Amino acid sequence: MPQSIDWLAVAGPLVLALTAVLVLLLDAFLGSPHARSGGHLPAMLTVLGVTGAAVPAALLWGERRATFCVGPGGGEPCSFVVDDFTLVFWAVVIFGTGVVALLGTAAVQEGRTPQGEWCFLLLSSATGAMTIAASRDLVTLVVALEVVSLPAFAMAGLRRGDPRSAEAAVKFFLVSVISTAVMLMGVSLVYGVTGTVFLEPMDRALEAGAGPRNVAVAGTLLTIVGLAFKVAAVPFHMWIPDTYVGAPIAVAAYLSVVSKAAGFVGLILVLGFGLRSFASVWEPLVAVLAALTMTVGNLLALWQQQVVRLLAWSSVAQAGYILVPFAAASTSGALAASMGYLAIYAFVNLGAFAVAAVVGTAHPGQQMSDYRGLVRQRPALGWALGFALVALAGLPPGVIGLLAKVVVFNAAAGPATWLAVVMAVNVAIGLVYYARWLFELFAAAEARPAYRVPAGAGLAVAVTFLAGVVFSVFPGLLLDPVLAALR
Amino acid sequence: MSTTAFALNGLVAVPVAFALLAALLRRSERAAVTVAFVGSLAALGWSLWVAMLSRSGLEANRVDQDWIAAIDVSWSLGVDGISAPLLVMTALIGACCFVSLFRHAPACGGQGNLAALLLLIEAGCLGCFLALDMVLFFVFFEVALIPMWFVINSWGDEHDEPGRRRAATRFLVFTVLGSALMLVGFMLVRSIAGTFDITEVARQADGAAYDLGSPTAVLASVLVGLGLAVKTPLWPLHIWLPDAHSKAPTVGSVLLAAVLLKLGAYGFVRFWLPVTDPTWELLVPLVAALAVVAIVYAALACLVQTDLKRLIAYSSVGHMGFVVLAVATFTEAGVQAAVYASVAHGVITGLLFFLAGAIKDRHGTADLDRLRVLYGKVPRLAGVFAFAAMASMGLPGLAGFWGEMLAIRSAVDQSPALPESTFAVLAVLAAVGVILTSAYFLVLLRAMAQGVPGDRLGADAADIADVDALEWLAWAPLLALTVLLGVMPGLLLSPVAEASRAFFGGA
Repeated sequence: MPQSIDWLAVAGPLVLALTAVLVLLLDAFLGSPHARSGGHLPAMLTVLGVTGAAVPAALLWGERRATFCVGPGGGEPCSFVVDDFTLVFWAVVIFGTGVVALLGTAAVQEGRTPQGEWCFLLLSSATGAMTIAASRDLVTLVVALEVVSLPAFAMAGLRRGDPRSAEAAVKFFLVSVISTAVMLMGVSLVYGVTGTVFLEPMDRALEAGAGPRNVAVAGTLLTIVGLAFKVAAVPFHMWIPDTYVGAPIAVAAYLSVVSKAAGFVGLILVLGFGLRSFASVWEPLVAVLAALTMTVGNLLALWQQQVVRLLAWSSVAQAGYILVPFAAASTSGALAASMGYLAIYAFVNLGAFAVAAVVGTAHPGQQMSDYRGLVRQRPALGWALGFALVALAGLPPGVIGLLAKVVVFNAAAGPATWLAVVMAVNVAIGLVYYARWLFELFAAAEARPAYRVPAGAGLAVAVTFLAGVVFSVFPGLLLDPVLAALR
Repeated sequence: MSTTAFALNGLVAVPVAFALLAALLRRSERAAVTVAFVGSLAALGWSLWVAMLSRSGLEANRVDQDWIAAIDVSWSLGVDGISAPLLVMTALIGACCFVSLFRHAPACGGQGNLAALLLLIEAGCLGCFLALDMVLFFVFFEVALIPMWFVINSWGDEHDEPGRRRAATRFLVFTVLGSALMLVGFMLVRSIAGTFDITEVARQADGAAYDLGSPTAVLASVLVGLGLAVKTPLWPLHIWLPDAHSKAPTVGSVLLAAVLLKLGAYGFVRFWLPVTDPTWELLVPLVAALAVVAIVYAALACLVQTDLKRLIAYSSVGHMGFVVLAVATFTEAGVQAAVYASVAHGVITGLLFFLAGAIKDRHGTADLDRLRVLYGKVPRLAGVFAFAAMASMGLPGLAGFWGEMLAIRSAVDQSPALPESTFAVLAVLAAVGVILTSAYFLVLLRAMAQGVPGDRLGADAADIADVDALEWLAWAPLLALTVLLGVMPGLLLSPVAEASRAFFGGA
């Protein structure tokens, strides 16, 4: 049966996919992987591609478009829906992918990462990330989640002749495959009970009491476990530090922002849309996961001297904060707080990674002492990193980071006050390591040879820093539409 | 923009603008400090103007603007008789700090940056005293933290780098823990009242629309109180304070003691009183009891201190105990006493920290075992110190007296909702604390200022200069205010009483 397809709705991911093919072809015909001169071309194309994908996304704001529907008329369940919720995540993916592509150019000089393949993989993965935000049935969702992950394994191992990079890829691969298997098991159980893969009909069926409840509960739990691997919630986080440290830093940035966002979209869709009527089952579970995740992440981050490892643990802790509103999900609008935090975390965390990528060109060891005196030696880099760190810690002048925490507290206080209190304690613990790093930035240091800032990475630093400053002064610009998108 | 909006927003914007200007003046440290000083004078003038406006009450003097509409956070600033004295005190202390910075540049340099950070702290504190929206109060609360962390961390005690780093981080972590808990409490308040506007919450609580006795409201009140107790600080949450105060540079200690602690005290009055149920037997008497423990404990701790700055820091814990005790009586007189004692403590302890800094600079140490015979060596400095110490121990006729006296009086005459006998006992214990306070200050003066010239440090007495003109300039306003508030307490008490009636309704 021929389907009518709403091409504008699918234009976003489609543009990314086409750009990916274009980058690969151009690289095959024009580029030599070892030529340093042409190394920037794929990254430029990638940035162009994501900008192109932003156009249809911007056109669709405020509308709801559904396509790939079952059955002829309206009101039927659809697999692909673009609404404001979808678009908020598209914005995160577009912004994140663009910044990561720019960061990737920091590795051009080194010549060990084939740029054409790297950008192709990045775009492919981003296509999956955009698709998942629009998916409204479990099959599309699982497939899209795999489209995010598969290229990411290759990206993690892309750096030639680096055994740690390969190790990172293998570890990431194994964990991801297991989590997918577990999740598929859960999904199939839920499907077996409800007889549908579409999220909203599934919710209605569960609410009506379809099938044996125990099986549905088991399916719910397995699905959560699978997604918890993706978002690296404790105790499913073991792969994070080694993978982040082993992978090229741009890939770590990608994993910590875009790939993680995809995991959270999956969680919001499955839990908030498909299993909403089971909230009483999964709310306490996710609450415990959130408390564990932020506590373990923060405590282990305290001891790190290697900054990528520190960022890895800090991103585990931040994932815990993002999980907090899930514990209050039956209150209307609570999950919007997760989205808000995620959107803010995206550019703030990318800002920290961007500076780390630049510093990494001179100090591949990424020890914290390598950052000593950065503010005096390279004021622009130093201030950008300092701003990102205070925003991650949630303190002014990084007002936007502070408000991210306010939004989450706002969702949790009341329905899950104990979790809000745990989070308050964690916010204070987190300060210790951010302050330690901040101290290094502003400490006096002996003069060291200045290093070159790659143009693309410099741009990435500037963009993320600018976003942070603008949204700190006018937080409503970001928070109002994002929080209103899921009501 | 209306005059009110201009006045209130301007009071926050002026120090920020001058801070940016000072930070941009990289070439000349001296010029940067001058700019910052001009900025602090502008803020002082501005705060006096705002204080004049405040006489027409809170409702006539507020600005409300949407800030983050999605979570109902608005940019609400306002001023009344409760906040105006604290605003002026903050701006005055700020200006004095810059004069002191002229007099004594920090050894490690970077005084331009230091001046900019101090102005930012001042802006954050002014914002706190103006904020009527709970989230906005929290945001301004946090604004002062990172600058203060830098001030302690980078310009603190130059002989003890690990010590000052530890002190700075401990200050930061404790304060953020407190404010994060406070924020959770605010969110709970909002879940009941449906607004972050504290005047609206107070109105609802007064009209019984906000059920103070419900479990959520009690939890909210506990969390808000806990957060403020870290900041004020209330025993046993004071452990961050002695380190932070003694390791900070002089101007940092002054701002910490005189202004930052007042954020907690003011928070208790403005944000804790309206959301707290005095009839619940557990919470309010417990807070009052902890305040009294703080008074007695701090006095005993002071008796055994060997470092001058630490001693003054501990004495702050005791004085803030009087403030919290006054707040916890739930009476108009209590609010009066709290505001009065806050301002008096700000002025007097600010002065004491300036003096401790001056003594430390001259002798290279604040170790009480090595400070001897100051009357013989630096008679004027020692005289001013004796004056400030007398004021701090509550000598009648000086500012410190009224704060303590009113606090104890309000504890005797507490709100009828509170257990009478408990408060009577607490009032007696607080009075014992007053005696202990006198004891340690007299012991201190005896040991540090008096004695026979010629022993130990007596030899180099000739090299040590006495108070110079800039120091007089920095301290004179505080000295004058100490006397003025001492002889004319009505200056402050009646506007506070009016404002408190307007804000708390019948209470």
